[in-house]
Formats: sequence, structure tokens, C-alpha cells
Amino acid sequence: MQLIQSTPAALTRTLGLLTASLFAATGLHAQDLSPAASHSAYGPSPDARTPSSDTNSDLGLTRVDTAILFYQEAGGRVKATEPVTSVTFNGSDGEILSVKLTADSLTGATPNGAAPWKATQTFISPSKSKGVQTTTTSASGHSQTVTLPGTDIVASQYTADPHVLPLDYGFKDTRYAVDLGYSTPIDSVTRLSFGGGLSTERDFKSLSGSFGLARDLFDKNTTVSAAVNLEYDTSNPYFGTPQPLTEMSALEKGANQTKTVINAVLGVTQVMNRNWLAQVNYSVGSANGYQTDPYRLISVVDGTAGAPVRYLYESRPKSRIRQSLYVGNKIAWGPTVTDISGRLYHDSWGINSVTAEIAERVAITSALYVEPHLRYYSQSKANFFRDYLVDGQTLPDYASSDSRLGKFTATTVGLKVGLKVTANGELYVRADSYNQVGAAHPATAIGDLKTENLFSGIKATSVIVGYTFAFQ
Amino acid sequence: MSYTAVLRPQGLLAAAENGFVYRFAAMGSPCEVRMETRDASLALSLGEIAEAEALRIEQKYSRYLKDSCVSQINQSGGKAVALDAETAGLIAYADQCYTLSAGQFDITSGVLRRVWRFDGSANIPSPEEVEAVRDRVGWSKVGWHPPEISLPPGMEIDLGGLAKEYAVDLAIQQLRTVSDTPALVNFGGDLRVSGPRANGGRWRVAIESVEDDSGTEGVIELSDGAITTSGDARRYLFKEGVRYGHILDPRTGWPVRDAPRSVTVAAPTCVEAGILSTLAMLHGRDALTFLKSEGVKAWVLS
Repeated sequence: MQLIQSTPAALTRTLGLLTASLFAATGLHAQDLSPAASHSAYGPSPDARTPSSDTNSDLGLTRVDTAILFYQEAGGRVKATEPVTSVTFNGSDGEILSVKLTADSLTGATPNGAAPWKATQTFISPSKSKGVQTTTTSASGHSQTVTLPGTDIVASQYTADPHVLPLDYGFKDTRYAVDLGYSTPIDSVTRLSFGGGLSTERDFKSLSGSFGLARDLFDKNTTVSAAVNLEYDTSNPYFGTPQPLTEMSALEKGANQTKTVINAVLGVTQVMNRNWLAQVNYSVGSANGYQTDPYRLISVVDGTAGAPVRYLYESRPKSRIRQSLYVGNKIAWGPTVTDISGRLYHDSWGINSVTAEIAERVAITSALYVEPHLRYYSQSKANFFRDYLVDGQTLPDYASSDSRLGKFTATTVGLKVGLKVTANGELYVRADSYNQVGAAHPATAIGDLKTENLFSGIKATSVIVGYTFAFQ
Repeated sequence: MSYTAVLRPQGLLAAAENGFVYRFAAMGSPCEVRMETRDASLALSLGEIAEAEALRIEQKYSRYLKDSCVSQINQSGGKAVALDAETAGLIAYADQCYTLSAGQFDITSGVLRRVWRFDGSANIPSPEEVEAVRDRVGWSKVGWHPPEISLPPGMEIDLGGLAKEYAVDLAIQQLRTVSDTPALVNFGGDLRVSGPRANGGRWRVAIESVEDDSGTEGVIELSDGAITTSGDARRYLFKEGVRYGHILDPRTGWPVRDAPRSVTVAAPTCVEAGILSTLAMLHGRDALTFLKSEGVKAWVLS
């Protein structure tokens, strides 16, 4: 590439005069140009979600459970692979030590929070290095994008096709977690337990600890328990924490944020008869601190057509108090065991939910069982849930378009099959299909948003394959 | 002739660095207006003003639109057509550029594309085919008595080399009359800024790579004026080791030999930049010498 510049000569000067008369009204004739180098970039990546699994225990044995979970959301969204290994040491005096190691690998796309629209939408976010996309000049008729200030953080952009839920494809993370638990009898009717956990990923760290006490009453027919759990989370989003309800931008944002959670559970487990065990739990918890999704947006739309005008970062309250009441029953009917449970939930964000679940374990042979299960869940929306905000209206203090805070119902249908392959070893496979249904076309939708699907909930499939065995 | 079609804006506003970008399609190209303001409704209305200007120019001067002013001239069958003031001004400008460039800038050269199709193939027309259309090229054959134009039958005019740049200049003018918001108007790679950025700094513009779709060849910074690029990066013919770029010399009917792959020119207005970058290409291997002698700020990729 060669750069030329000197003083204007004949043709150019004449052309300048001719052009000036073509645009009789233009009053500018100075320019300042200098070449500069180009950069390079990679995309950012947002938040993570955590599936879970559980452990078994047998007196006097050491049990190892190794499983791998595959989780896939429909529509090319989140995909996770999660290997889990847990080891439970059951001491001869009733003490139990468990260690669980988890590694999560998440990829895919996650809804960025903006509402779908009939035309292509472009989103801009911070990114580092490689191939700066600036506005380009070209002979090919392409015009490209993004003009940048002189910092290392540059803009990257992605688009959402017309009528398609905007997804952020920069979603990729790996999470590692360690959970430790120890429980021991302190007398013939009282059991004490402690636990601790650490989970870390690129932009989020969580530290937790728990303490619990359980006491058997009435000849061990009744057990009452109480537990307290504390959690401390640090969120350090890629390129900083945005100021809630400010415009999406490629600028570097604010400092790390933290959250503390304290949760208490009171429970009663009652042997109703030889074949029936019932449990009631009441839980109350309080979370304080940063609970906003730092990557999630909310569209601000034009009040008549519904066209996107700008995109703001979402905002959630700093405090959330949750309560729930759970009732569970385990009933043995000959060769089958039925688990039936219900849960009521309420939180200070205005979400009320109901859960009903039933699972039926049927022994086919002494070595093979199947366990179909069904779960129904329904929740009301958080009081600050909005599909979008309307331009020109006063900004609320809090707003989020996260479907998890919206009104929806969800059903899970699944089947677990277990096969005893040795005296203490079992191979199991569990498959689940999860489906959320929500308000795709709310009656209040504005203009052309009436015809867009505003519900961004998920359909997901998960499969767990595991092997558990115990030894002396 | 009157052109008062009311066109509904189709563009979309999106958040961008320090403000907004409004994107739409016009004149066969993606177009955008970057604005440094926090006021979304202002940005939207500025974007719509620019879009309206682009669509108006397209409606009026596209040779593909049957009812355009250009099509009416081309379909006049040799009869004189009286032009409105704006069109007469543009044609007069093209006439002056023809004289100034000694016939290299010629709005009647479009018919050469009937025999030259730059699709990357080896389909070079025969000299006879070129000769046959060359009779229908040449501004000097056109009767031009402002504001009347008489086009000999079989000839056509094409303002494609002028209209997009003209629209960019008009859009910038219009934006400046309604607001002092710093803006960059880019219609299909031809662009102009309203002035310095909000912080007094320069706008950054990348020169698109001639090698592939994704890369850039460097970044130009400007605080005023316009930039356009001419080139044959993707439109060419290739036969017997000779690359025929899409810049046709109206005087010979043949592509310019050894033209640079791309010429990017800075000028006070987009129209000037466009004509200078086209003329530089027409100088073939002497493009650089031409640009130097003219003292034009330019970037040549050869």
C-alpha cells in the first residue's frame, strides 16, 4: 500500500470548483487523514448454568459414582457436557465423608435478552484484539461497521436474523467444582453435618459452607432437622460489570460484584407406616448483592411499531428473599416404590410457583428396574419482568426479560433404567425431556411485536449415563 | 418530471460505539449512518433523513428502475428531454468532468457492459463485438443544451458513477442542517463525515482487503471530508495470463490495463473523491503518478 499526499494540482482544483457549484450550499473543505494499523479480536463469552446430580450411601461401604451428563437445548442453544465423580466413605460408626468433583463444559448460544424483530438486529459488545471491524470503504459495495476509540478493548458485533430470538453465540465456559460433606452421629439419636463447596469458572466464583443437625424422636419414627447454608459469590464478567439500564456498548465496564446468600431449612421426616415415609421441609433464604445477569439485555422499542430503538443492560433488585414448603412421600407397593412430592414457592421478586412430581420405580427383575418420572412446574412472573421496555416511558428501577423470571409452565418427562451388574455395582441411564411453555404473544404486545414469538424459554434434553459401585 | 414518492423508512437503529448506527439498504448496497448522540429518537430521525435521501436518489437516477429520470432519458428514442434543475445540474457536472478528464469520465460508457461481463471467467468479447457497441458510446455525440438533453437512439446514460456519492454528500448536508450531531454516512463503501467526532477526534475507516472478504488493509482516520474506493477486487476477467479489471476506458471500449487493484481517495466531498478514484483507475499503471501530480490524498493497493 502506498500513501500519497501533496498539494492540489490542476484537475483536482477545477473539480473542486465544479463540485462546489454542484453543492452550492456546502461549506467544508478541510480534511485530515492518516493511516493507522489494524487490530485483531476474539469474542466474549457469558454466563453459565449448572446441572446437578446426587450421591448414594451405604453403611460401612465406600461408594463411587461416576457419571456423565449430556445436556442440549433445542435451537442450537446451550450444550453442556458434565462429568461427575463422587466418592462416599461410610465409616463403621455411622460417619460419612463424601467428595464430589465436577467439570462442566458449556458451549452454544444463549438468548441475549433482546426481543425478536422483523428485521436483522445488530448487537455490539466489547471484545479484544483481532480484525477490528471499522466502517470500511470498498469498491465492492460492502459497507461494514464499527468505529472505535483508541483503547485495547474493541467492539465486536453479532446479528440476529429477522423473526429469530437474538442469541449471543459467545457462550462458552468451563466450570470446575469440588463439594465436600461430612456427617457424624454425636449420640444415638443426633447427627451433625458439615459441608463446603467451591466452584470456579472464568467469570464467576462461588464459595459455600453448611452446617446441619438432625435428631431422631419417638423411637426413630420421626426425625427433625435444621440446616444453615452460606454462600459467597463473586462475579467478574468479561469486560466488567455494566451499569444496569445503560445502553449496550463496547466500552469496558465497572468492577467485580459480589453476592451473599444465607439459607435455612427446617424439616420433619415421619415414618407413617411400614411402607410409607413422609417428609415436610420449610426453607427460607435471603440473597443480597449482585443478582443481575451482566450480559443480558432488554430491548427498548418504539411505542407504535415496536421497532427496537436501543438495547439496555438489564437490572435486578439487590435483595431476594425466598420461601418454600416441600412435602414428599416415598411409598413402597410390593415391587414398586412411588415418590410423590409437591412444592410451593414464593419470593420477594413476586414469583410464586407450584411443583408436582411423581416417580415410580418398578423392579422388572431382581437386577433390572425402570423408573419413569413426571414433573410439572408452573410459576408467575417477577414483578419487574418485561418482554421489552417502551421508548419515551420512564425507566423502571428494575427490568429483565429473562424467561426464567417470566410466567411459564414446564413439564419434564423422563425415564431411568438401572441394571445391577455386580453385587454392589449398578449401571444406570437416565433421559429427560424438558419443555417450557410461556406467553409467546402477550395481549399487550406493541405493533409488529404482536406477531413475534416473545417467549425465549427452552426445550432441552438431557441424558445421564453412570456407573456406581461400592466396596468394603 | 416530478419525484415525490413517499417512501417508508425501512432501516434499523442499533446501539453502537458512542451512539447509534442506522442501517438500511439502498442503491443495491448496504448503507449506514453512524451518529454520536445519546438521543435515540434524534438518531432515528437523522437515520431516516439519510435513508430518505438515498431512496430519493435511487428512485430518480437508477437505470434499473423503469420510471427513473435516467430511464426516461434512455427511452426517449432520440427526442429531446427537458430536465428538472437538479438533474440538469448533475448532467452539467458530468459534462464538465468529461471535458476535464479528456473523455475518460463518460456517463454514456455503460452500454459497454453489454459485451463485458466481469464474472471472473475467460469470456473476453471479440474486437468486433467491442467495436459494435463503441459506436454507441461517447458523450460528445449527445445533444446537450441545458436543460435539454437529446440522446441518439441506442445510446444510454448511467449515473451509477456519480449518484451514490452525490447521495452521500446530500445526506451529510441534510443532517448538518437539522443537527450538529457528529455523523458518518456510508453508502456502500462511499462515505463522508459531518466533521470531527464528539470528542474532537477522528473517525476511523478501514480499507477493505482486495484479497478476501474479511480482512482490512489498514485504517484511515479522518475528521472531515469524504473517502471512496474504486477497484476491481472482485469483478474481473482472466484470459491467457491477462487480468481484465472492470474499469473500462470509454475511449477504447477495453478495460484499463495494469490498473491498481484498488484506489482509495480522500476529498472534501464524496462526489469529488469518487471521480478522482475512477480517473486514477483509468490511468492504469500510471494511477500513482496521476494521483501524485494531482496532489490527492490517496491509498493505492496494486
